Parts: sequence; C-alpha cells; structure tokens
Amino acid sequence: MVLTLFLISGLILTLDANSHEMTPTYPKFESSFVNGVMKTKMRLFNRRNDVSYYEIGVFDSEWKPVPFVTSYKVMKMAYLDTAEFDIYINKTDLIGATYICSKSKLQKKDVISSGISSRICSKIK
Amino acid sequence: MKKILTIVAAVMALNVMATDVPVTGKVQMRCLITTDTAGVYGNPAPQKLSTAVADGGVLPVVRYDVTLADNYIAKITTPTSFSSSPALNDTVTWTGSTLVSQTSDAGMSGYEAAKVAYDSTTEYDLTVAGSTWFTATLSATNGYDKSFPGGNYTAIVIAECIAK
Repeated sequence: MVLTLFLISGLILTLDANSHEMTPTYPKFESSFVNGVMKTKMRLFNRRNDVSYYEIGVFDSEWKPVPFVTSYKVMKMAYLDTAEFDIYINKTDLIGATYICSKSKLQKKDVISSGISSRICSKIK
Repeated sequence: MKKILTIVAAVMALNVMATDVPVTGKVQMRCLITTDTAGVYGNPAPQKLSTAVADGGVLPVVRYDVTLADNYIAKITTPTSFSSSPALNDTVTWTGSTLVSQTSDAGMSGYEAAKVAYDSTTEYDLTVAGSTWFTATLSATNGYDKSFPGGNYTAIVIAECIAK
C-alpha cells in the first residue's frame, strides 16, 4: 500500500515536472491609482525546469499587440517560482484588448533537438 | 481543592477537543501545459530529419490539463524552420502533424475527429475537463537528394492554450 502510494506520488511529481500555468483565465480590470489607467493582477507559475524566462503580451481579437505596462515584459523565473504581476492598460486601449498571454522563452543551450514552447492566454472579460 | 483542579483540567480538555482546524482550498479555472517529452530528431537518411519512431526519433509529447470544460482551445504549431542549425545548402521541406495520443476521459474521444488543421497549426476544442496528451510528428527534408550539413539542428513546437 505504502509502495503504491509512493509510486503514484512519484508519477504525479514526474508528470508535473514541466508545466506552465497562468491564472486567472478571465481577468477583470479595475481602476488603478492613475486616472484613465486600468489594472489587473495575474499570476504565473513556472514548473518547467527547462525554462527560466517568460514573455508577457497583450493582444486584441486579431492577435495584434495592444500597448500595456508591467514591471518586466520578459520575466526571469526560477523553477517552481510563482510571480504575481500587475498589468496596466489605458482605458481607450482596453476596449480592444482581448488576450493576456505568457510565452515560455527557450534558450538555445536548453534545446537539444526539438523543443516545446508553451503559451497560455487568458481572455479579458 | 483536588476537585476544582480536576474540573479545570476537564474543562481544558473539552476545549481542546472542541477546537476546529479548518483546511480550505480553492480550485481555480486553469489550463496547464506540460511538456512530457521534448522530442528528438532521428536521421534515417542523409537528407532527412524526423521525429518518427520508425526513423529513430522521439516524438514530442505535450499534455494539457483543464479544470473547466469548454473554456479553452489547444493550438499546436509544428515548426517550419530550424531555430538553430548549421548553414543550410538547399531549401528544406517541412511536414508536421499532431494527434491526440491519450486522454483521461472517454468524452474526449471525439477530439481527433473534430480537430481543425490549417498551415502548420492544429486546433482542438477542449470541451471536457481533464488531461489530454498530444503527439507531434515532424520531419524536415533537404533539397532533392542533398545531405544535411553536419551539426546540431533544433526546431520548436509551439503549444498554446487560449481561453475562449
């Protein structure tokens, strides 16, 4: 019984070794301390041990970039690190903004033959 | 005096027994992308690189976990160029395909038939909560009967999870 539990736990840990996660799925914007600027808080979790950098982007419904401000557009994250970051968008730009995305940035030294870049996009409600 | 002490001890014991330890948790709606296997190119012929097992390669496998049904689209794009390679001597022809290789729920059996493929991208509507494993088969063929120059070749598969 103990061995079975140990094996299942090991399997789950192994399966979860390389995950990329961003929440919330449907972020809501609220007024910030700057007049005319809205903000929302996002959370990124790096469970990919082959990735140290994530790029943040905001796009409209046709995947055209929308201007936004955050602390770092490319964030350095250690393995199993969680980052909470605010995204600020002008009220006028927010009208067209549809997606907030985070994309893993693979470094040349980390890709052996065929790498997988992950991208998660939340939809602005 | 002894009686009082006994009563106090009993009351204290009762208080300890009555203490609750609340454990709370919240499961957020989320999509998780896990790279199960990164994939390796085999070199079955001098002019061909392929991840197919029959060609000596390893297929890249990516897993999507969704906690809420019908809220996400999985998009997998196979490469159409090398992200790094030696200087190439001819045009490279790329082929790529994506398949559902494993699912955690019988309700996901229709994913493969319902997929939408265009250019080098395949889209799946994740209509059931749970885990789905996708496998991509990639191949790159150098110009007519021309060997690939020696060196390291890398290409990137893009796995996207987009909220609907």
